[in-house]
Amino acid sequence: MMENLEVFLQIIFWGLYAGCIYILLATGLNLIFGVMKIVNFAHGEFLMIGAYITATIFFISGINPYLIMLLSMLALIGIGAVVERLCFRPILGTGKLNEIFLSIGLIYIFQNMAAIIWTDEWQSVKSPYAGITIQIGPLSVPLDYILIMIFTAVIICGLYLFLKKTTTGMQMRATSQNRKGAMLVGVDVERIDVISFGLGCALAAAAGTLWIVSGQIFNPYMGSIPAIKAFAIIILGGLGSIPGAIIGGLLMGLAENGAAFLLGGIWKDAISFVILIIVLVVRPTGLFGEKGD
Amino acid sequence: MRLTQDAIFKYGTILTLLIAIAIPFLIDSMFIINLLVLMLTFIIFASAWNLLACSGQGSLGHAAFFGIGAYASTLIATQSGISPFITIFIGAAVAAFIGVLIGLTCVRLKEWFLAMVTFGFAIIVQTLTVSVLAPLTGGWDGIASPRLVSPSIPGYQLIEYYAILVITIASIAAIWYIMKSRIGLAFLAIRENELEARAAGIDPVRYRLLAFALSAYLAGVAGALMIHHIGYITPEIYGVENSFWPVTYVILGGLGTLAGPVVGTIALTIIWEGLKVTGLTFGRYVIVGVMLILAIIFLPRGLVSLPERVQEWVRRRRKKGPLPELAGS
Repeated sequence: MMENLEVFLQIIFWGLYAGCIYILLATGLNLIFGVMKIVNFAHGEFLMIGAYITATIFFISGINPYLIMLLSMLALIGIGAVVERLCFRPILGTGKLNEIFLSIGLIYIFQNMAAIIWTDEWQSVKSPYAGITIQIGPLSVPLDYILIMIFTAVIICGLYLFLKKTTTGMQMRATSQNRKGAMLVGVDVERIDVISFGLGCALAAAAGTLWIVSGQIFNPYMGSIPAIKAFAIIILGGLGSIPGAIIGGLLMGLAENGAAFLLGGIWKDAISFVILIIVLVVRPTGLFGEKGD
Repeated sequence: MRLTQDAIFKYGTILTLLIAIAIPFLIDSMFIINLLVLMLTFIIFASAWNLLACSGQGSLGHAAFFGIGAYASTLIATQSGISPFITIFIGAAVAAFIGVLIGLTCVRLKEWFLAMVTFGFAIIVQTLTVSVLAPLTGGWDGIASPRLVSPSIPGYQLIEYYAILVITIASIAAIWYIMKSRIGLAFLAIRENELEARAAGIDPVRYRLLAFALSAYLAGVAGALMIHHIGYITPEIYGVENSFWPVTYVILGGLGTLAGPVVGTIALTIIWEGLKVTGLTFGRYVIVGVMLILAIIFLPRGLVSLPERVQEWVRRRRKKGPLPELAGS
């Protein structure tokens, strides 16, 4: 009985850790969707680029990777802004399928550029805290996992404060509620688009960094599956709803690790889509999504 | 004399057909024949994807139907000993049946949701193939698939090429017929405005399901043809790459047109093989990605609209031409 409980807690803990990565990705996607009403299927590629930037700086300088995360996030704000300006802005409002097709082009470009720059071999980063564990109840937990959860919470709270307290944040919320109305009251929506896209990419960079510091191996193709799962999460949680993304992210992390334990590791990726399809059959607008057009 | 669009289409079709028939006599290379066979199967595959897109549904997991058709045909052929020429169409029917099932969940969904569900479905099918169905499918290792034409027959590659060419032409003719008929008009009406389509008495759910079935059937045919040509099948067939290629071909060639998938597949295959000479590996994908994005932004109707665009450009230049002279005198 005691052993079962331990396994159960272990699964929950793994689920929470995986959920953190999904929360960051899904929140970034939601931010972009909320403001621009576009869906960027290449979001996972920003996670991958963020992870590689962190890893490269870490290999060269040896600075604590948790600090490098900030640099990586800043770099991704820049990359995101360029991608928004060059690729997404010209097709804004030209049909919903176009942005999906455009994302495929971006996936080709980013994955293979990364493979050219960093090769497509699996790599890994050794965190300075690797090997340190902390005893919580019956579980001994790696310190890195706790730090990952704390950093996720800090980033999400920071984003929340930014959206609530700053002028830019308020402009972003206004744009997402009513784009034309925001334009009427003098919000430069194109500037807000760039900022939202950049911030979304920065969150992806944070997700990528936190993923690799936990000791996971990575290669240029690491991003696609988590990104698509992040999509499943925001569809479940309701497009544009940030609390929905947080709850959905945690649930997805738990479901996935539960399924991997019960059905075998091979089901880890498929289970999220099984859940997605079941939910969409029952409710075509998502769990918390409103009835829309 | 100015060529009209219809004339370009007509002469282009005749020329392409003549080249396709004559090419094995002009170039005596097994490598080229092999390449052409793969290109033909991808023409069918891209056309199938395009047919679904015509009804306003953009799938990101068409590799699922491609692979199901291939696996079903292979399994039926190996278990029963029926000729692959027949099992191709039975395997494709299995793909169409599953297409309808997945279509049932998709028809009421918005674009992004549909893209997600189809993408996820390909991953689910791959997982099933390597786990539950592994005793049948051989898991990750895959299984041998009977050749379309037995290699013991002399000149079997040529027979195979012409057989696949005939099936490709028949598929495109079938799509042409469908798109010209009431069904095709209904697809287009739903894509343009679902509400108006319903007002005109079209049941969008039924026609979307029909589009799914037809598209999955043709994708299944394409997959089965490719696998019976290669002679071996692995779960890699469900990979993301196989889902993205038809999208890339169609967008480059011209979305929603009959010639688009054909032109796109041929053009990209030539570019792809041409770039191989330069020794690029990952760079080729980067170039394809850049081309895809440029096409979406600057040539939204694809390569097939290029003659029209050029004519327009020439006409505008002619109009502008005399103006500076007038200003000069």
